[in-house]
Amino acid sequence: MRRMTRRAALGAGVGGALVLPWSLSRAASGDAAGFTDTEIILGMSAAFSGPSRGLGIELYRGAYAYFNHINRAGGIGGRKIVLRTYDDGYQPNPSVENTVKLILKDRVFALFGYVGTPTVTRVLPLLKKFQNEKTFLFFPFTGAQPQRQPPYGEFAFNLRASYRQETEGLVDNFVSVGRKRIGMFYQADAYGRSGWAGVRRALRKYDLKIVGEATYRRGQKFTSVMRRQAQILKNARADAVICIGAYAACAAFLRDAVDNGLRVPIANLSFVGSENLLKLIAESQDEPRRYTELLVNSQVVPSYEDASIPAIREYRELMQRYNPQPPRELLKEAYAPFAHSFVSLEGFLDAKLMVEILRRMGDSPERGKLESAVFSVKDFDLGVGVPVTFSTDRRQGLDRVYYTVVDGGRFVPLDDWKGRF
Amino acid sequence: MKVQKLFQKTLFGIFMLFGLIGISTSMLAIYTVDSQLTEEYESNAKGVAKTIADSSVDIILNRDLSALQSLIDQFVEIQGISYIYIINDSGEYLAHTFVPGIPEEILRGEGHGAESVRRSLPGMGDFVEVSSPILAGVAGRVYIGMDTGLVALKIQRAIGQQVYLFSTIFVIGIIAAIWLVNLAARPVANLLAYAVELARDQSGETDNGVLVRDDEVGQLARLFQYISGTGDLPASARPSPTSPA
Repeated sequence: MRRMTRRAALGAGVGGALVLPWSLSRAASGDAAGFTDTEIILGMSAAFSGPSRGLGIELYRGAYAYFNHINRAGGIGGRKIVLRTYDDGYQPNPSVENTVKLILKDRVFALFGYVGTPTVTRVLPLLKKFQNEKTFLFFPFTGAQPQRQPPYGEFAFNLRASYRQETEGLVDNFVSVGRKRIGMFYQADAYGRSGWAGVRRALRKYDLKIVGEATYRRGQKFTSVMRRQAQILKNARADAVICIGAYAACAAFLRDAVDNGLRVPIANLSFVGSENLLKLIAESQDEPRRYTELLVNSQVVPSYEDASIPAIREYRELMQRYNPQPPRELLKEAYAPFAHSFVSLEGFLDAKLMVEILRRMGDSPERGKLESAVFSVKDFDLGVGVPVTFSTDRRQGLDRVYYTVVDGGRFVPLDDWKGRF
Repeated sequence: MKVQKLFQKTLFGIFMLFGLIGISTSMLAIYTVDSQLTEEYESNAKGVAKTIADSSVDIILNRDLSALQSLIDQFVEIQGISYIYIINDSGEYLAHTFVPGIPEEILRGEGHGAESVRRSLPGMGDFVEVSSPILAGVAGRVYIGMDTGLVALKIQRAIGQQVYLFSTIFVIGIIAAIWLVNLAARPVANLLAYAVELARDQSGETDNGVLVRDDEVGQLARLFQYISGTGDLPASARPSPTSPA
């Protein structure tokens, strides 16, 4: 396997390019358009370092498993898929710098698998700026609204359900079991605000308001103390808490909330990185069950334990076969990958749909034809039991939200809200 | 270095003068830096608040609040801006940068609506808070808190530099003053010694060099010699031809 490394300029961290096992020769004809006779180059900027690195790494691993599988089978029309990756550490400025590099220097065919709301919201204006280049953003790992609505919605395509849908589902279910005093713990940035806005909007349906809110700064580690946040929500007498954050901070909050007697259901969105959260709790606490028995996480992909779903079977098989590793050049800290995770499953499904779109472009892929290729996806069976459809007024493939709780030290589907909470 | 009694008051006067200059210039500097920096901070904050208020209209009316949060997150990176919050017309907090939560004082709505207000938030510090209306206030207001601690820090730094410079000049000045005073005092001490010796020994042969001086000390020495009867009347003491008889 050949890997290219490059130093990321402007302090964006080490940049690297994961290249699937083929050389990076470029045909002059296709160089400017992000493809050659042998390759199609996709660009990814994500968190590969810092407290949220598990999200970028797992998303990458899932996508890698599928792209690698396709490449080994001959690629798309003889072209291998190359995923050029840069680390942004889940910070907006490096994300912007990486995107400029991917568009202007690397001349990628499309942007793929970006991670995070604060990063993506800052990148979107760039896509508008370079709209003549027709460089679209495919399947970012965020459910925020900015890439789903004007003025930037036309430059992105989403696969996952939105935060609005996730938070609405959580609120509906909490209200249905009589938990109407909903408090919030959220990241003090665009991601947190997006989730906050979703909860606020969902509560309005019931003429309810958020009873209390506490925040934390992006980039907090599990060692951070969240007692003050827990106390704020305890003082607000919240009978359920919805967290909008990343796994390290949310695990720290869960720990301090339970330790401070806040014994209410605590919910997280899909972005949190469920397995990483659970791992932090399990490895640090003597009685992890005490912390996770009231935990409920929403997901935008089905449970990877459900082998009755065709895409899950395929995902499990390819993850096992290729055992994708994090991009070595971008790793600054040790990371132990999960055999399976909701995030890597999402990356896998993102890659699967991306391949389908590229296939629909035929032998002459051009950025200008990307949009029409996406819009040709109608009732496509991705293998998750829900058909995927795109159109000019529908730029999001899936809408379904799943709910999971911890049983036996792993996340399993939640079927009975009343019985659990 | 011993200072002659005659000049101790002179040195004390110099010391006092230095002190007076130092204190008055420091106070003037504190006042000037404080008022100018505060004014500049307020002015900048008002400009930022107005910019956010103008940019917020479209976002509040048409877009997701995450875009609004993203906007204020960029401004809060500016040095001196400690917090930003936006309230809609019904008093709801649409976006803010507080961690771990909105302070009670602000939640109570104290000072809301004022263009500028000074706040002291427990655990956070002292702030000048300025605000700007969104859509003439019908869509809400943007509030920006500027850290006055930063102004105090800048004043401390400016005063510190001034005190350092002043202290250096003061020490050099005092050393120079003592040296100069002693330089001036030495002939007087010699004259005194000569006069004492002359009083003890009427021969007039005692000479420590003062008699050859052509300044006032030399003239006085020669006059003492004349008075003691061991010398001639000094030329400077003789009546001039044009003097009245």
